[in-house]
Amino acid sequence: MIRFLIRRTLGAAVILLIISAITFFLFYVAPRDPARVACGKVCTPQTLNLVRHNLGIADPIPVQYWHWLEGIFVGRDYSSFGHCSAPCLGYSFQSQTPVLSLILDRFPTTIGLSIGAAVVFVIFGVGTGMIAAVKQGKALDKIASSASLIGSSLQIYIVGIIAMYYLSDQWHLVTRPNDHAGFTQDPAAWFGGLLLPWLVLAIIFTANYTRMTRSQLVETLSEDYVRTARAKGLSRRTVFFRFAWRGAMAPIVTIFGIDLGTLLGGAIITEQTFGLHGIGALSIKAVRDNDLPMLLGVILVAAAAIVVFNIIVDAIYAVIDPRVRLA
Amino acid sequence: MSTPFLSVRDLHVHFSTEDGVVKAVDGLSFDVVKGKTLGIVGESGSGKSVTNLAILGLHNREHTTLEGEILLDGQELLTAGERDLEKLRGNKMSMIFQDALASLSPYHTVGAQIAETYRKHTGASKKEARDRAIEMLRRVGIPQPDVRVDDYPHQFSGGMRQRAMIAMALVCDPELLIADEPTTALDVTVQAQIMDLLKDLQQEFGTAIIFITHDLGVIADIADDVLVMYGGRCVERGTKKQVLSTPDHPYTLGLLNSMPTLDGSVDVPLTPIPGSPPSLLNPPSGCRFHPRCAFAEKVSDGRCSTERPKLDVVEGRGSACLLTAEQKQDLFADFAGTRHN
Amino acid sequence: MSLSRRNFVIATSVAAGGSMVLSACSSGGGGGNSTSNGAGTHTYTGHVTVGTAQDSQGPAPEIQGAVKGGNINGLSPSDFSHLDPQRIYFAWNSALALLYVRCLTGYKIAPDGSQKLVGDLATDTGTMSNGGKTWTFTLKDGLKWEDGSDLTVEDVRHGIERGFASFTTEGAQYLQTALTGSADFRSVYKGPYDGKHLEGVVIDSAKKTITFNLKTAQPQLNFILAMHSYGAVPVKHDTKEKYDKDPVSCGPYKLAAHAPDKSLKMARNPHWDPKTDPIRNAYPDSFSFEFGVESLPESDRLIADSGNDQYTIMAYNGVPAERIQKVLTTPALKQRTINGLLTGLYYYAINCKRITDPKVRQALNYAWPLEQIRRIYGGPSAGDYATSVLSPDILGYAHQDVFGKLKKPQGDTAKAKALLKEAGKLGQTIVYTYPQGRESAYEKTKIVIANALKEAGFNPVIKPVDSTSYYDQVQQINNQFDVMWFGWSPDWPSGYSVIQPLFDGATIANGSNNVSQLNVPWINQAIKQNALITDPAKAGDAWAALDEKIMTQEAPIIPETFQRRFYLHGSKVGGALFDPNFSAFVLYKLYVKA
Repeated sequence: MIRFLIRRTLGAAVILLIISAITFFLFYVAPRDPARVACGKVCTPQTLNLVRHNLGIADPIPVQYWHWLEGIFVGRDYSSFGHCSAPCLGYSFQSQTPVLSLILDRFPTTIGLSIGAAVVFVIFGVGTGMIAAVKQGKALDKIASSASLIGSSLQIYIVGIIAMYYLSDQWHLVTRPNDHAGFTQDPAAWFGGLLLPWLVLAIIFTANYTRMTRSQLVETLSEDYVRTARAKGLSRRTVFFRFAWRGAMAPIVTIFGIDLGTLLGGAIITEQTFGLHGIGALSIKAVRDNDLPMLLGVILVAAAAIVVFNIIVDAIYAVIDPRVRLA
Repeated sequence: MSTPFLSVRDLHVHFSTEDGVVKAVDGLSFDVVKGKTLGIVGESGSGKSVTNLAILGLHNREHTTLEGEILLDGQELLTAGERDLEKLRGNKMSMIFQDALASLSPYHTVGAQIAETYRKHTGASKKEARDRAIEMLRRVGIPQPDVRVDDYPHQFSGGMRQRAMIAMALVCDPELLIADEPTTALDVTVQAQIMDLLKDLQQEFGTAIIFITHDLGVIADIADDVLVMYGGRCVERGTKKQVLSTPDHPYTLGLLNSMPTLDGSVDVPLTPIPGSPPSLLNPPSGCRFHPRCAFAEKVSDGRCSTERPKLDVVEGRGSACLLTAEQKQDLFADFAGTRHN
Repeated sequence: MSLSRRNFVIATSVAAGGSMVLSACSSGGGGGNSTSNGAGTHTYTGHVTVGTAQDSQGPAPEIQGAVKGGNINGLSPSDFSHLDPQRIYFAWNSALALLYVRCLTGYKIAPDGSQKLVGDLATDTGTMSNGGKTWTFTLKDGLKWEDGSDLTVEDVRHGIERGFASFTTEGAQYLQTALTGSADFRSVYKGPYDGKHLEGVVIDSAKKTITFNLKTAQPQLNFILAMHSYGAVPVKHDTKEKYDKDPVSCGPYKLAAHAPDKSLKMARNPHWDPKTDPIRNAYPDSFSFEFGVESLPESDRLIADSGNDQYTIMAYNGVPAERIQKVLTTPALKQRTINGLLTGLYYYAINCKRITDPKVRQALNYAWPLEQIRRIYGGPSAGDYATSVLSPDILGYAHQDVFGKLKKPQGDTAKAKALLKEAGKLGQTIVYTYPQGRESAYEKTKIVIANALKEAGFNPVIKPVDSTSYYDQVQQINNQFDVMWFGWSPDWPSGYSVIQPLFDGATIANGSNNVSQLNVPWINQAIKQNALITDPAKAGDAWAALDEKIMTQEAPIIPETFQRRFYLHGSKVGGALFDPNFSAFVLYKLYVKA
């Protein structure tokens, strides 16, 4: 296991390095100049050069990339902002704040949004999937299956806007989504502010889990070893949870890990729809502003979240299924 | 003959499918006595496995209708509740499945799977159950059972897995053991070991065994009595010697002709039975074997395709065929001469 | 879909000048009639005038029925990008800066939307001499910073000098250029941080005067000084780069809290003396802003008008196209709107380096389907047809319509084709480009444009450019585009502020706003001459005449629309007024209804 973790962590580091390099160079493939944003309306070549110098982008691109990497490990000195200690992801071109501090500031919202939604959609999705699998072919199965089909065809920005309009603005059933309160300061307000996004995200994600749980369970319930377990005299219940569910869990955990990783990397549309200030909102801003350090920061976070969850998923997979060997 | 431990009477197993009703078992009766082995022979789809799943109550209840009578040690199983059946399964009656790799849970250790059965039926502690599992593994001939007890099925070899399967089936000293083609996937050496093991265990505990196979060679090795199934019906039964040496049904004869001789002589050509097993959704009328039967035209008026042959059993011996005894004597004569003389 | 965004780099800043009759609205009433007759024959009144010393005296006239107290809440998709006055250029930032930054001059807006340039920190709009090369201003008494210390001429000079520092690259550069006589002004003076002061700025602390000795005449310096880029900064509390996060107020409100991209709060500045301020009222105790609210949910909240949203305004994104009909056709909602034209012009620049024949450029103007384009934007409520380079805000604006676009807003493709034939350019390829990914409307307008061009005998080729690099690409002098979507907002309401940056051949370079790359000697000459006219009215007439002449003879652009924006406010918000300069609510005139 330890060897596995070391090997995968090193692999992840290489992946992140490659992703950052690709991002860095791709950013400059388009003929755009991030210095323009800070160069005013009448942008003289002299001013442009000054801005480039201020932003640390006056050097050739590979040198810039090297400085950026250096910043992560040993920190970096800026002529205009002073020292940025390691791990330094640079200063945002636009808000001229350290990228790392912005990301750390936004992360609680993203974590709250993702984990909360994940709890809801896993409970509902897996729950209805189980019911559907057990009641195969019966009315409950059909209702659950078609509900999940409808759910999966919904778009978050449509459902989100409609839900906000009716549930919050018109009927006042749920607080309008917000992230004003931190989890530690005012848990009730925190919960209220995220409740609607959780539910809307859950509606959309639940469907996937319902379908997957159902089909996985239907498959494992027909496995020989499930029959064997029944032949041993175990009750349906025991067989369902200890044998069939165990077998169905592995692929669900895989998808869940990928979903959670993606959400933690920034639920861009969700955050935008509900006006939440997480990593997703930061990504949009970074793209809009041509803000390279910010862009690199959020892409690294997103990539790291996905890579880390991949490792976690593989580790969990090995725990669930002893046939999978780590190393 | 002692009182049968398991008695199946006029068993019908019907599945309802989207295409219609499948008559998987159609009026089957047999008995199994303690300490004896009943071999059930037939091609796949002949209803042999279905019968045994029905005995354990493991058929799909939603789509299956059962009729008839299954008495286990005097207890009616067809009408028994799920709870009662759970108490019997793995305890008084247990089953060994064909593909041990698929039939053992890949997510639990071999030991845990054995111990689980034991705890369920005896209420033993974890420690006791584990010790019992090790003991069972030792008894079925697993080397270093105290180590291997913590292995997962995929870490076992094929033969060992089958042994473990047997250990699991026998952990509660069942009085009835149903072995569904337990050796099919194994090579001959291992096959022989497993058979010996079953025989030893039977001698020790006096277990009644139903041994399902499509392989007459295996039957010759292990069975006391033989029941030949075709198309959901019993076509012939008798002692092993009766059935194998003096087959009384064209299908049995066909089966014998399609297998190598037991003494290993290779100069006799093998003759497979022409045609394929019948569809149980639309079974052939009359004798279900008649479309494939070499002697069907020997029976006058085409009765083979209209009349269901009766199975008359006298002292455990009988067959369901419209040929007269004289015809059979003529037609089957070759067989006796060339094969098992 | 509102076409203007904060990051619309070009149409961004201070343009001043008249607003229209239609946007003139009294407090909270949502005023005038917002429909037009479709032919675009609006009557534009309201132009900026230069006020007297009397006009420059505080306090600002009370608004009838307004009461003190409460909090006004603003919603916006994005945060203000800069708070340091020297780094402020965007209208969006200026709308807020009005609360805490004061300049020598400023615009005093009347309830009907008309406005006067008055002295803000200065006692009047300055004294010009030496043909526009020397300007002198005197500071008022009683000016204080938020810590209670006096605001001095040194502080005013400090603000000017900070405009030369290496970190204030975002701000305006007119004054710096005029003072040094060089576009590369930082090579002449590097800012106040090494203890040196700027040669051309002379202060007299005792008399509280500040005198600008310019290298080049600038008869409109008093307008230029109203830009927040030239706001005062206290010498003692200047934190250089960090000042952007923590500016010091001399206005009625000061920064109380700021969580970047999330929220911002302005609280009352007790040291601001209304008697010194002819421009600002200050009724609410505080303003709060909530960022990250996209325009659709923002509209829905204001439409619902529940709870705290009754005290809320749309800070900078107008009512989007999806909701505009609902808002305009529901009387109760329409009551809660204000609207006005954006300061600039939306147009299509024709690359004169590639399309060299003026006849072809005229044909493009005739063919252009303004009506179809505006319908995609949302119809008449989206704005008025533009038929000139100068917008109605501009001092001296005179209505003209060289290509008869108001009569045939759908385009006159027959006439265009005839012209093209005459020029022998039938089948001329036109490469049209627009920023892709910013507005879905441009994906639709490209179709009606292509259709019209085909009908007129052109061969249209559509080549969109990703919006993140759009300006960088079209501002390359060797680009491969013929017609480019563009827009321009003047920095102050004069013809110079439009025509010079867009059509002066001397400015042509990579990154220049002369995207048409027009370089015609008589135009270059006329720009130089007009810039020196000291009488504002005469100057205005001269610019309007030049506008018409450029369009008639050269047709370097295709004017499209003067865009209109509608804002909603909550039912408890009073004093709603559209700022003709910054296209937002005039924050300092709002009050919380009792």
